Amino acid sequence: MRRAGYVAGVTDTRHEYDTLAGLYVPIGAAVVLLVALLVVAFAWRYRARPDDPDEQRRPSRIHRAPRTEALYVLVLACVAALLLWRTYTVEGRTDHAASGRGLGVLVTASKWHWRFDYPRLRIVQRGTDDAPPTLVVPARRTIDFTLRSLDVIHAFWIPDRRFKRDATPGFVSSFSLVFPRTGFWRYGGECSEYCGLRHTWMKFHVAVVSPAAFARWTRARQGGAA
Amino acid sequence: MTAVGAAGVRPRPRRGWLGTLASTDHKALGAGLFTTAFGFFLAAGVLALLMRFELARPRLQLMTLHGYDELFTLHGSTMFYLFATPVALASGVYLVPLQIGAARLRWARVALAGWWMVIAGGLIMWMGFLTAQGAADVGWYSYWPLSDMPNSPGIGTDYWIVGILLAASAAILIAACVLATIVTLRAPGMTMLRLPVFTWTMVVTCLMVLTAFPALVVAMGLLLAQRQLGGVFSGASGAFDYQHLFWFFGHPVVYVVFFPFVGAIAEAIAIFSGRRWFGYRPFVLSLLLFAALSMSVWGHHMFTTSAVENRYFSLTSTALLVPAGIEYFDALATMWRGRIRFATPLLFALGFLVLFVIGGTTGIFVGSPPLDYHVTDSYFIVAHFHYTLFGGSVMGLFAAVYLWWPKVTGTLLSERLGRWHFWLTMVGMNVTFFPLFFLGWEGMPRRVADYPRSSGWETLNAVSSAGSALLLISLLVFLLNVARSLRRRVPAGPDPWGGQTLEWATSSPPPPENFPAPLPPVRSFAPLQDLREAAS
Repeated sequence: MRRAGYVAGVTDTRHEYDTLAGLYVPIGAAVVLLVALLVVAFAWRYRARPDDPDEQRRPSRIHRAPRTEALYVLVLACVAALLLWRTYTVEGRTDHAASGRGLGVLVTASKWHWRFDYPRLRIVQRGTDDAPPTLVVPARRTIDFTLRSLDVIHAFWIPDRRFKRDATPGFVSSFSLVFPRTGFWRYGGECSEYCGLRHTWMKFHVAVVSPAAFARWTRARQGGAA
Repeated sequence: MTAVGAAGVRPRPRRGWLGTLASTDHKALGAGLFTTAFGFFLAAGVLALLMRFELARPRLQLMTLHGYDELFTLHGSTMFYLFATPVALASGVYLVPLQIGAARLRWARVALAGWWMVIAGGLIMWMGFLTAQGAADVGWYSYWPLSDMPNSPGIGTDYWIVGILLAASAAILIAACVLATIVTLRAPGMTMLRLPVFTWTMVVTCLMVLTAFPALVVAMGLLLAQRQLGGVFSGASGAFDYQHLFWFFGHPVVYVVFFPFVGAIAEAIAIFSGRRWFGYRPFVLSLLLFAALSMSVWGHHMFTTSAVENRYFSLTSTALLVPAGIEYFDALATMWRGRIRFATPLLFALGFLVLFVIGGTTGIFVGSPPLDYHVTDSYFIVAHFHYTLFGGSVMGLFAAVYLWWPKVTGTLLSERLGRWHFWLTMVGMNVTFFPLFFLGWEGMPRRVADYPRSSGWETLNAVSSAGSALLLISLLVFLLNVARSLRRRVPAGPDPWGGQTLEWATSSPPPPENFPAPLPPVRSFAPLQDLREAAS
């Protein structure tokens, strides 16, 4: 049985992100609103009224409340613990390395374009500085990415997947993503680590196709290359 | 040393700007360093405006890609190295001796050399614009290998490194002077747990400068050696080593440029609530905890590298919400049952509380690796740190300027213009930076001069650029206020606000020896408030 956002036991990074953000954002918004509200409320409630002859009020001389503050620190610590517990749980799922059973794609970043190798399919999607390549992947299947850089540090970012990873020269990093929905994302992938002159335009397109369409694309590409 | 020369002869004090440049009086020095830093703030602000003009619409209108790279590099670097750090330390150089009842700054000549080094470093860094290949274009954290010679051959980058070496060394020297002053020159009765709140924030600021800035000096020294000679960094470990070294400095620096202004808003809130600062001891403890944690969170800048223990750095980063929460508690508790007067310094202090909490909560957000994977290096991060640095540090800086301007110059600023300045800044700040959260969330990376027309980012970018024009206007209102105050010279008197600490017990501006009359007794961190409460 498939739950919304889940694909056959594979981590949907966007779903994980949305779940975790669904905890952080409301807490953060509540804290911001509470602080703003208290600042405005205190400023209004305790404002000086020099024109009011009845005002005989003297500012409070209570300057410490160690027990209240200790209790409050305990609450803060509990909030921190809750956030960390959820973060660790989700990170365990998003971070699992390439399973090796999915479709392998080798991503090569270099100034200032991308290249996608599908080693087992013997297909290469090569971009140039002026023509971004398209990352073509089948929907609902694990894609095992291997990421490397040939020159400076780049970063591989697919905003729709809520995921990015640095491409450091001399270092290979592995991660798995799954793309649940078919579609075409124009400039759906970007370099997000500043890498020099044409960093602005170092992008790629993302095409997520049905498994059948992917098989057709594979055959066409292999036939075309032969 | 005061103005007494090596032979024990008191030299004739020089006049004019040359005299100011050579003065070891901590007030002339503090004001001079402050003005220098503020000049760099305006210069870096102009660069930001140019960037926002460029980003208002897709495609390139004003500049080349390379020009844009120079702008964001010099904007960030100038703001951090030449404005925020020097301005934070300058506030300490001016105010700390006055707050602790001292007549001078310890090792004032060393601090004076620091001021010269900031000026020299800044000029050298900006001289890059005059070279054939332009100014540095490597970003303010200049990751290796992008910052290496083959990738960034412009000599502007070498100038930039030398400029940072000078400014960073200056920061270490000045911080040593301020800390030594606090440790050795306190007035009788002023124990460490009777230091004013602002002075305590300077203690932790100096501790962080002394521990973090050497890492920057090393990083820049190695980078210069790598560029000129090679053989320092190599391979992936070189790339990661540089990042560790840089962020070991690069995170604490955010608190270095923030804490003095926490101290400033704390003083403002206490004074204008007619109450002393609430929960002094927990507050001091939270400052020390904050400083300690600040040295252990640097890896959160590297969550996406796969080369750090993400869970550890997520733990330390999230833990920061505890000391930050204590500080908010104390600020609100100080207002509680106070008698609040809405002077301009308080407006900026309250603005700080409301804006910084947005920067703070989004900071906890990016302290979670799975969330950071999406938003790091995007405009979300740009929005986040501008809420901490502009909403926090700059709002706090203006609170400090409005609070202490009468003390420093002896004249009052216009409250009416001050309110205009405040509200324009509040509106402009939010209009400029709030849309950036959404742009980043939707996928706009930072450090791009252009974005695709199909992206749907035009409106938010246009709104943000319009906001930056409001910020320009707000700053012009401030400069007008300053110019009017200096021309009209409405006398402020020694204590226009009902101050609580020793600087308000001497004339405005203070005389060269600071306290010609005997000091009031120091029995707490708010000695003047003690007198006031005893009298009523």
